[in-house]
Amino acid sequence: MNEYAVLSIHGVIILFGLLLLTPFGSSLATILHSRYESTKTKRGQLIAGMVFVCFGGFTVSAHTLWMHNKLSEGQSVCSGDTILNCDGLIGNLSYNTDPLFSQPWGLIGMVAFTALMWLVLTIGKDPMSPQTPLFIKAGLGATIAGLPVIGLLVSYEIKEGLICPFCTTAHIANIIALVGFFLLFRLNESEDWAPETKKYFSRK
Amino acid sequence: MDVNGFGKNGENMNSMLHNEEASARSEAGIVAMSMFFAGLLVVAFTSSPIATGTKPGERAPLFSGKAYNGDGWETFAFDDLLTPEWNPNSTEDAPWIAVEFMDRLCGHCVSAAEEVGDWSETYKKANNWPGPDVNFVAIHVEFQGSSNRADISEFRDSNSHNFPYFDDDGVDSFKDWDIGATPTYFLVQPNGIVAWNSGIPNLAWDAQSEESITIGDPNGDGRVKLNEAIEQIILSYGGATQ
Repeated sequence: MNEYAVLSIHGVIILFGLLLLTPFGSSLATILHSRYESTKTKRGQLIAGMVFVCFGGFTVSAHTLWMHNKLSEGQSVCSGDTILNCDGLIGNLSYNTDPLFSQPWGLIGMVAFTALMWLVLTIGKDPMSPQTPLFIKAGLGATIAGLPVIGLLVSYEIKEGLICPFCTTAHIANIIALVGFFLLFRLNESEDWAPETKKYFSRK
Repeated sequence: MDVNGFGKNGENMNSMLHNEEASARSEAGIVAMSMFFAGLLVVAFTSSPIATGTKPGERAPLFSGKAYNGDGWETFAFDDLLTPEWNPNSTEDAPWIAVEFMDRLCGHCVSAAEEVGDWSETYKKANNWPGPDVNFVAIHVEFQGSSNRADISEFRDSNSHNFPYFDDDGVDSFKDWDIGATPTYFLVQPNGIVAWNSGIPNLAWDAQSEESITIGDPNGDGRVKLNEAIEQIILSYGGATQ
């Protein structure tokens, strides 16, 4: 299977999550209503969108780790004559591991998106918990902390004059997750976080 | 104790809320960790990474910088010497690579210079060697004292060597190759896997069986030299049929 066909699968997952975060999300979320009732609320849509974004970020990171391993076997997985070339970056020993723990960037991405997924699922499972604002802030902080890392990886791309489409997709997923956590933060500050409770109390 | 003025009931309510929160965190944790390990398993079962290092069977560390080729100092990249698509059953005549870490001020390197020069000529098809060409590259490190590029060029020219001399100064490839002394020799397969390391002289990598094998000491002098390793390893793949 062509590597860009596989990349488009990751891309579709992330795009679906992104759309759920946008104002179009409410109409898109109707396909999830029958199975996931929580997606009828704005909060539910945002959390569903974040789950898709984090899952897409996770799968594309796992694919990057797979490429890292394949390249070490001596195989070519995503090379080309154009500027789009993963082999030249993921296969480059000077850049393909993080400078602190010497672990492949794909593995770092998997760990990061697993942590974000945990935060999102915890917020989704117990949205009324007093810990929720803390979890949202933790997600916001973690995604902001990802920005300098993305900056470092983009500097490698500039240095080598190449773009790794798989890595870039993971970077985009992190930025969308940042926006998602910001939207959750704003919603959590507003009264729309728990409209069902509002209705309940107004009836009383 | 009174919690929010609700006495025992308040305590129970408080503990129930804490349990609920903990349960949500645990459930989310189980889902997230399952996803993580499922991802790791898929990657692990569909790829078998080769570690970078200098033991037989490991992928030789790459390096790039400036090398002297007889005409001048030019940009050199080790991976330009490699043929990544090579495999032990291919009939393609891909060249192997012999790497020598040396220092022009090291006595053993100076005394070995003549035979290394001879080997670089001997293991060429043009000189009736039955195997594929072996391309030599010398990496000049500074263990004994300081040398500038003019000194390195002079050393190469005075020994009439025909292979590039790479200047390790500022590149530190000797650290990646774990070099503790000079001269140290390596034989690298065309696809970049280390086939032999003079630091572990009796051990070689067999690309066909993908395992380490023991190689002999033809001269019986207790050490396997680079030329002996080249002949034993490369010709074990069938010589001219390579």
